[in-house]
Formats: sequence, C-alpha cells, structure tokens
Amino acid sequence: MTAELTPQKISKVLIANRGEIAVRVIRACRDLGIKTVAVYSEADRAALHVRYADEAVFIGAPAPRESYLRIDKIIDAARRTGADAVHPGYGFLAEKAEFAAACADAGITFIGPSPYAIEKMGDKQTARDTVRKAGVPIVPGTEPGLRDEDLIEAANNQIGFPLMVKASAGGGGKGMRVVHRAEDFPEALAIARREAESAFGDGTVYLEKFLVGGRHIEFQILADMHGNTIHLGERECSIQRRHQKLVEEAPSVALDENMRQRMGDMAIAAAQAVGYVNAGTIECMVDKDRNFYFLEMNTRLQVEHPVTELVTGVDLVKEQIRIARGRRMGPTESVLKPNGWAMECRINAEDPYNNFIPSVGKITTLITPTGPGVRVDSGVYSGYEITPYYDSMIAKLICWGETRSEAMLRMRRALSEFTIMGLKHNIPFHQNLLNSFSFIAGQIDTKFVEERFSMSTYYAPPTEEELEAAAIAATLVADRNRRLTGQVVTQGTRDTSNWKWFTRYERMKR
Amino acid sequence: MKYVTTINDKKFEIEITNDGRLIVNGQPREFDFLHLDEALYSLIMQNQSHEVVVEQRDGEYEILLGGHLFAARVLDERAQLMASRRGGGFTETGEITIRAPMPGLVVAIPVSEGDTVKAGQTVVILESMKMQNELKSPRDGTVQRISAEAGQTVEQKKILVTIT
Repeated sequence: MTAELTPQKISKVLIANRGEIAVRVIRACRDLGIKTVAVYSEADRAALHVRYADEAVFIGAPAPRESYLRIDKIIDAARRTGADAVHPGYGFLAEKAEFAAACADAGITFIGPSPYAIEKMGDKQTARDTVRKAGVPIVPGTEPGLRDEDLIEAANNQIGFPLMVKASAGGGGKGMRVVHRAEDFPEALAIARREAESAFGDGTVYLEKFLVGGRHIEFQILADMHGNTIHLGERECSIQRRHQKLVEEAPSVALDENMRQRMGDMAIAAAQAVGYVNAGTIECMVDKDRNFYFLEMNTRLQVEHPVTELVTGVDLVKEQIRIARGRRMGPTESVLKPNGWAMECRINAEDPYNNFIPSVGKITTLITPTGPGVRVDSGVYSGYEITPYYDSMIAKLICWGETRSEAMLRMRRALSEFTIMGLKHNIPFHQNLLNSFSFIAGQIDTKFVEERFSMSTYYAPPTEEELEAAAIAATLVADRNRRLTGQVVTQGTRDTSNWKWFTRYERMKR
Repeated sequence: MKYVTTINDKKFEIEITNDGRLIVNGQPREFDFLHLDEALYSLIMQNQSHEVVVEQRDGEYEILLGGHLFAARVLDERAQLMASRRGGGFTETGEITIRAPMPGLVVAIPVSEGDTVKAGQTVVILESMKMQNELKSPRDGTVQRISAEAGQTVEQKKILVTIT
C-alpha cells in the first residue's frame, strides 16, 4: 500500500478506450505535450479517437472481448509503440485490477489507482466491509456469491421490497434490477445474472435495499502519492433510466455547505480506507430525510467528470496524469464552495419515443452547439456510422452558468442548436426534461424519469407556422430533386439505355 | 408542378411554378430558400428565419425545424392521381410486425404462437449495445408467427414476431 515515490516518466500515453472519452484523454495529453496512441477495433477504423491520436494500433474484431477487453493486445500495442503509460478511460478495462497489474508488470504506468485499490473497491462487498470499518454508513444488503435460494430467502426475510439486484462486477447499470414484489424476484434475478454475465463475464450478484425517494449523489476524490486526499465536491446524478445516468449536475440542490463537508469527509475516509491514489468517485444515496449512505466507489474517471471540471476549474485528466507521474496534485484543498453551476446531458443514440431503444446508422447531419458556457465532448462527426457493438452514448453536452437557472437556460439554448440527423437520439428527452417543473425545481430522485416523467407531459407541439414551413421546405426539396433527376436522365451520356442502367443500379444496391 | 404534401396528417396543396413562384393552398407566398450544405437549408418567410434539415428516407422526407422532427409525404400530381385510383393507397392490414430495431442477439421470446398479448407486453428480448432491450407489442392482439429463436443473431429490420 505504500506509494511509489519515484517520479514516472510519461511521454507517450496509450488510451485503452474509444469514443468520446478517448478523445477527451487525447486532448489532455495534447495540452501537456504528451504523444498519444489510440487502439481500435475493426468497427472503429473511422472513429474520431483514431483520427485525433498521433498513432493508432489495430487490436481486433468489433466485439469488446476480442479487442478493447484484450489485455494482451493492449499491452502489446503499448510495447510496440513505446508508450510509457496507459489511460483506461471508463468502462472496458478501467476497473480490472488484472489490467493495472499487467501494466505494472510490463513497466508501463497505469494512469489510475493501484491494482490493490481497484481490487478492494471493485468487489462491492469488500468495499462495503472496508468502508464500514472506517465508520462510513452503508445501505443494508447481502454479500455476493449467494445461491439463488439464499438470495430469495434474504430478499423475503431480511431486506424486504423494494430492493435492488446488483452485479458484483457491476457498473454502468448493467446487471442491475429494482424489484418491487416478491413474485417478480426470481425473473429479475435471472435477467440480472444474464446481463452481468454478458457484460462482465461474471454473473455474481448481491442485493441491496432500495431507498425510495433517494437521490444519487457522488463525490469526486483526488489523491496523490504524497498523502494528500481531497474532494472536489458532489455531482447530482438522480436523473437516470434503468440505472443509466442521463443528466448530471454539480453542485446538488440537496446539499448545503455543512452537508457537503460531512459527506465529503465521509468520501475521503472511504478512499483512504484503501489507500486510494489518483481520481475516483464515491457514490452515495441520500434519502428523503437527508441521511446518506455509501453505495460504492468507482476507481476511475467518470463519464460525468466535466461538470466537476466546470465548477472547480480543475482539469481532472491532467491531474490524473500529474498524479501518475508521482507529482503533487494541483488543488490542495477540498472544494466546499463550487463556482457556479454545471449540468451535463448525455446524448445517446436512443429513441425516447420508443422505449429508448438504441438506434444505429450513419449520422447524416451534425451541428454541435457552441457559445458562452457550452462544452461538447463528442466521439462522432457528420458521416460517422454508429455501430451496434458499443455503448449508445455518442456525445455529452455540458453547460455552465453562474446559477442553476442560468445553466438550465443555456442548456435549453444549446439543445435547440444541437442537430443530429440520420438516427434516433434522446435530445427531445432532454428538451422535455428541461421543461418539467419538478426538474426545474430540483425535485428529483432516482425513480423520477421512470415513474413520474413522460415524454408527452411537457411536449410543446409545433405551431401552424412551423408545420407549414416544414411542408414548404419538404416540397421545395422534392421539387429540386425532381428537376435534378430530370436533368440527369435527359443527358443521355450513358452507353446503354436508361432502363438497362436502372436495373444494373438496382442489382448493385442489393 | 403541383404537389400535395402530407405532414402530421395535414395536407398542403403546394404549387411551384416554372418561374419559381410558390403558391400554398391557393395563396401566392413570398419565400427565400437557400441550400447551405448537404441536407441543411435556410428558409425565410415573412421575415421568419427557419433553419431546416431535410432528408429523404424510405420514400418520405424527414424535416427538422424548430426542434421538431416531421415526416412528410410529397406527391406530385401524377403520383397523387395514381394513389387515388388505388383507393387511397395506404391501408392498414391489421398485421403488425415486430422488427429488430438494430442488429443484435435474441435473448428470449417470452411468447408463443397463438398467445394473446396486451399492448406493452414484452414479446422479444434483444441484446444490443450491451443492453437487454425489451421489444413490446404496440397493441393488443394475437401472436400469429414467430420468425426468430432465442440465441439467434439477427440483422436490423429482421421480422421477429408478427401480431394480428
């Protein structure tokens, strides 16, 4: 557990990830004058992170277990390119202790915590035990690894309903189910196990009491090898659907400075309990009576890290690299008074009008918002094709304002500028959410979206003028197309008749 | 050329004359329509400035305007005539097909042929993008045909279940 204090040389970083987070890490490296290496699967040859990196190494088939989860191929890519450090991003190998250890064995700096800390916190039960010993309150639940019969027994007699089935190796809402009635429990258990098995290769689950009306609030931790551990305040992540966060903000309307101090102290204690070094997140539940409980620690950079960056001015990825180099981290004190308000909307290729089913296809038009207080972290571009192999999140829209109201108004403005065509996406969801009185008032909990929000409630129908303008635009384009096609056909420059050419073209398209 | 454009169940009779004038439902209209890039257009009418994306997809036009996504059908005079001879054309057969909205792995089909299903009932569980997605029946009905099985990898738009 003693920290290594010899300064680590970092001159070239391999990013063991894809999509927007790989681009985010590349940007931090560029800022620091560090060279970058991207890895990519067959499905990602045209991905943005491959275009932005200095070097790119092909690592295999599209399925993650053939590429982004292959420790051997990634270490080999680092060796071949002379990368002296690896940044894991989030997801994929970010919370695999085995990967951090393999990097260390290969003499490559892992930009993240020690394998020991990942192991301890990665096993959710060990994490709960460890932090409980450090005096941190936890949500009641079972240990993992129990057989189905024992889980059913525990569910009925010890924990009660509602409860949550969670994957031991979990994260990102995979393998997680809320169960309200005893009779639904066996089926939910089976689904959770299947999902956990397919997402993490490990079907182990455990149970946890579900706190009704609870908020999901997490604390950003930074710790260096010189014994400094601080927090950078909280993020409110209660806007979720099927345990996938959709909107995050910093700070939270539910916390005042006193509570921020108490929860922050708890978060620091939880991180110190495993000798944590680098950036990490302590996830908590806060119930209706403002009691808080430790849920789990994410031993990596979070998707929603930008909201913290905007209210603290800290570049978390740069700090991660600085810490991994063995230097003292930049900020020296915990943040009790965040600067202004930040909000993030995750832009997912999902159809909000059809049960949020993922959508695949080519992005035909993409216009990203800009202007004061607007940041877009994106992994896509116009002409890019979304494949079914990876997460449906394609970009993050983050807005900052002096106050929560200003941040929300900017978010509304930015969402109205954001244009994505070619596939279904959840921008309409965000627009409706930002019209919802409960959300505007900050009255939210983790079940808000699923139980008290509907796409139709705050839907503002188009005006007659808009309808007519749309009809006119479509007709003008149709007319234009008709005239253009007419011209091509009458040119007669092809050596066969138009009919023959037409059938050949049809055949080609098959 | 005269067109009938249907959008959100509302019909507009729109004429674009050979010299480029616009007549909407019999009324001449001033307009300024500019092609900006690919599918992006700017439309100014009565000083109202609209940024519009228009894309052609599956024989229809998709229009994004003012944050609203519209689907429009544009028929010229001849197509309109043919459609009316067919007796209006677009009839409902009463059969609904549940198709794979994306490529994926069929995890389970929790219904059998002949089962009655309720609107919102899960008929297929499809795994894609690392998530298990429940495909639900859009209305009450009877499962007429199951065209896939658990464990099968399916392409996008593959018909999985037919409900009558």
